[in-house]
Amino acid sequence: MTAGNGRRVGSPYAPHTDADEAAMLDAIGVDSVEDLFDIPADVRFDDEFGIDSTDERELRQSLADLFARNEELTEFLGRGHHAHYVPALVDDLSRRSEFLTSYTQYQPEIAQGFLQVLFEYQSMLVELTGLPVANCSMYDAATALAEAALLANRLRRGASGHRVLVPEHLHEGRLGVLENYLDGADMEIGEYPMDDGAVDVDALSDLVDDETVMVYAESPTVRGVIEERLADIGDIAHENDALFCLGSDVVALSLLQEPASVGADVVVGEAGALGIGSAYGMGLGIFATREEYLRQVPGRLVGVSEDSEDMRAFTLTLQTREQHIRKERATSNICTNQAWVALRTAMHIAWLGPDRLVGIAKDAVTEARALAQRLDDLSGVKAPVHDRHHFREFVVYTDQPAPAITNDLAGRGFAVHALDDHHIQVCITEANADAADEFVAAFEEVA
Amino acid sequence: MFEIPDDKKYLESHEWTTTDGDTVRVGISDFAQDELGDVVFVELPTEGDELAAGDEFGVVESIKAVSDLYAPISGTVVAVNEDLFDAPELVNDDPYGDGWMLELEPADESEFDDLLSPEEYREQTE
Amino acid sequence: MNFDQARFSRDDVYEPLLSEKDSTTVEVDADGVLPDDLTRDELTLPALSEPQLARHYTRLSQMNYSVELGPYPLGSCTMKYNPSFTEDVAGDPRAAVHPDRSDRTVQGTLGLLHGLQEYLADIGGMDAVTLQPPAGAAGEFTGILIAKAYHEARDDDRSEIIIPASAHGTNFASAAMAGYDVVELPSDEDGRVDIEALDAAISEETAALMLTNPNTLGLFERDIVEIADMVHEAGGLLYYDGANFNALLGRARPGDMGFDIMHYNVHKTFATPHGGGGPGAGPVGVVDELAEYLPSPMVRETAAGYEQYEPESSIGKVHGFAGNWLVLVKAYAYIARLGDEGLADASAKAVLNANYLASQIDLDVPYGPFHHEFAATSGDRDAADVAKRMLDYGVHPPTTKWPELVPEAMLTEPTEVEDKASLDDLAHAFNAAYADSDEALETAPSKTSARRIDQVSAARNPRLSWQSLGDEE
Repeated sequence: MTAGNGRRVGSPYAPHTDADEAAMLDAIGVDSVEDLFDIPADVRFDDEFGIDSTDERELRQSLADLFARNEELTEFLGRGHHAHYVPALVDDLSRRSEFLTSYTQYQPEIAQGFLQVLFEYQSMLVELTGLPVANCSMYDAATALAEAALLANRLRRGASGHRVLVPEHLHEGRLGVLENYLDGADMEIGEYPMDDGAVDVDALSDLVDDETVMVYAESPTVRGVIEERLADIGDIAHENDALFCLGSDVVALSLLQEPASVGADVVVGEAGALGIGSAYGMGLGIFATREEYLRQVPGRLVGVSEDSEDMRAFTLTLQTREQHIRKERATSNICTNQAWVALRTAMHIAWLGPDRLVGIAKDAVTEARALAQRLDDLSGVKAPVHDRHHFREFVVYTDQPAPAITNDLAGRGFAVHALDDHHIQVCITEANADAADEFVAAFEEVA
Repeated sequence: MFEIPDDKKYLESHEWTTTDGDTVRVGISDFAQDELGDVVFVELPTEGDELAAGDEFGVVESIKAVSDLYAPISGTVVAVNEDLFDAPELVNDDPYGDGWMLELEPADESEFDDLLSPEEYREQTE
Repeated sequence: MNFDQARFSRDDVYEPLLSEKDSTTVEVDADGVLPDDLTRDELTLPALSEPQLARHYTRLSQMNYSVELGPYPLGSCTMKYNPSFTEDVAGDPRAAVHPDRSDRTVQGTLGLLHGLQEYLADIGGMDAVTLQPPAGAAGEFTGILIAKAYHEARDDDRSEIIIPASAHGTNFASAAMAGYDVVELPSDEDGRVDIEALDAAISEETAALMLTNPNTLGLFERDIVEIADMVHEAGGLLYYDGANFNALLGRARPGDMGFDIMHYNVHKTFATPHGGGGPGAGPVGVVDELAEYLPSPMVRETAAGYEQYEPESSIGKVHGFAGNWLVLVKAYAYIARLGDEGLADASAKAVLNANYLASQIDLDVPYGPFHHEFAATSGDRDAADVAKRMLDYGVHPPTTKWPELVPEAMLTEPTEVEDKASLDDLAHAFNAAYADSDEALETAPSKTSARRIDQVSAARNPRLSWQSLGDEE
């Protein structure tokens, strides 16, 4: 857009003609728009930001050029952010402006479509977790975990302690968020050890006491290990009147033990693995729990009701838990959530159906096992480091320095994550499985 | 005009209590249920809980509002109205009758003197 | 304008649920993949074909109102048009990278994040900006944690956050989550901060004052410099809630008013789509003195390119990774598209539209002069009922019954994207609904997909999944 002719260039998305603007000012009874601003002179901004407006074509080109500076690597990366193939249907339908450009459904009569999708999303999570209450989204797995800990603490108000026990192997982002959320509630975090990648159940048992309000465990863990003693962990928590919170993800839930069947009181985790793929960590937090904790659930809930013609209709419900009504005593401060991601995830789950969903979950086990075996066959490499079942990902030991291998692999077109000097984490899904042969060949060259 | 029975005493926060017998009942006033609108949920303590006058003993929720409930006097909870869990609308329909919330065994009868009389409560609501 | 929302129905339901179209149970046979005791027994989900799904979701989309269908003047929500091209930009496959990638290999991603940090700092008059908070409330929480870290670093133990009664509910909840006691501040008779009450509320316990400016009545806090001085003199910090920043772009900056911390609602001010409730993003800007406390990582530019770093006394993480990346891309694209003049024009037209609309409606607007939004009152008519009736005119109604300072409030924010004709339609909807009979108001709406929905039944008998529907009767 040019301003070369001296004409002031405005927002391309403000549609006013000069004649309309004049008529509007006249109706208001002022001479210019500037007269409408009641800003004292001493805080007026009279300078410029120095941001030049750019026309759409040029801007798209310059942003395409910018993103072209990202190296095109095939990612074998996971650790809480997983990419599965997202079908075109999801992109296409989720971008319908009726969904994309709508607001929170505070007028349910005119927003039945989105409400129904969110209700269906909640229902899918109820099926996957076996727990009867699922909210319609948290920001991500980390904040969902933190909210679960706050819920556990509210339930145990007046108890002697406020400790949450988390595994030694916990994603640094989840731990960091948990620390920040718990600080204000004067809660503390205790860490229990892992034994060859899985929960050291005996050690956990020694650590849980009456000061513990929640025990958190993951399956799969951040290292991809499938936990084998979830029910024992749940029992230990319950024997000490603590909640058992299980972290998982939407794909793993379709295959692994149903959380309710192992005593989980709250399920948190990532659902963005279906729906958005690699998005630099943007996610969708799962939050599901038991009926008895319904009034303590953070975030929005969609429920069923009837309209005045006795037709079934959907509406946001139990809103007195939320900040816009209960203010400082709300169950959470969350308002804007990840509704559109939940819509995409629900569409993706529906597109897969139960067979294919379980299918990609099985693939996540078999592909990881096969890839680990192939890497293990290379000299100077041991995989998986933990002698456990894995889901999607696993840790690799390398004789050679891991950071150097990571660098060399990038030079050959592959991205992996170095955990420390001699450990690399590798993740495989159907989104990168086709490149497994080349990846193994490259690994052999650099290891 | 809201109903304010003469045989009860009141709190500024709109709870009522009866004053005679070994146990006294507690609920919320006609005025309070009207202000709240349709009650959708009531949370009550459990039998045996000890309450001091002024303690929060529960919560009453409508669609748009939530109110804490305060104990008018000190005492031990000897009964809660479990009917409210399935039929919270009783609080709206019959606030002084079937919509009662709990029964207390008073610890100190002299505390009744600190509560509002029907006349005093009527003034507050007008 | 005549309006009838699409309405698919069958018997006593609208578009049937996916689970009513199909329910398929598969046995989860581990067949050698995993030991049996590590897997679930079965999974029941709909198994539908792509064409069936396409129809399901398209029908549902048609039973949903949106900005692209008509005006959406929800006060303090800034429902402006979301430029189409920003979706395409965000969808660039080269931007779809994993957060564990090394800095060297994602220079494009880091370049965009750095550019947005700089844009937002300039626009808000702040010195440093984090993009990590995934929503406005998360931004508030982040900002309060920064204030807490600042005070703690000075061994200054403070316990209170002051918040005006008219503030967004998130302010109270965020302050409480960070462990503070909330001191609620009344408004003066003009609807602004009551300076005397503020003076009484401020003490050595004051960690921060959270303000929205213009406030939730659309009024600019004229005494902002005095307010800032009062808070600072007491050792407190001043926090800016960016929900109403669309009123001020290019005309005033929170940093220049004395604010120390602010959050930006990019899904409001910078036109990223609300997506039916999210995702948003709530970047937080701070003055120099607080930059060391920002969440980790931040992005900076060096001779060797962009790199991530951890601020010296960082509060750590407020999101598992880097926040809502796709939203941040769209915000960057919007700002770059508009530039200085476009941004200033957006605010000008937003304020013009609010004032014009207010001049055309029959409802009283008790407080002014307002900027991008105004709180009308429906007087002796129930604001919620008036709102329901407005739906029948093909417009979305304003925020109702809030802020509580105005009885039967209808908080209205038309944004800059409505033209005069559209505002006239909106005014007609206001006036027609406001003048309608009690019966019409109580039975409205009648042109929407669903008719008046019973909120009480939904809350008394929570049915939150399709599984729960089988339990009935």
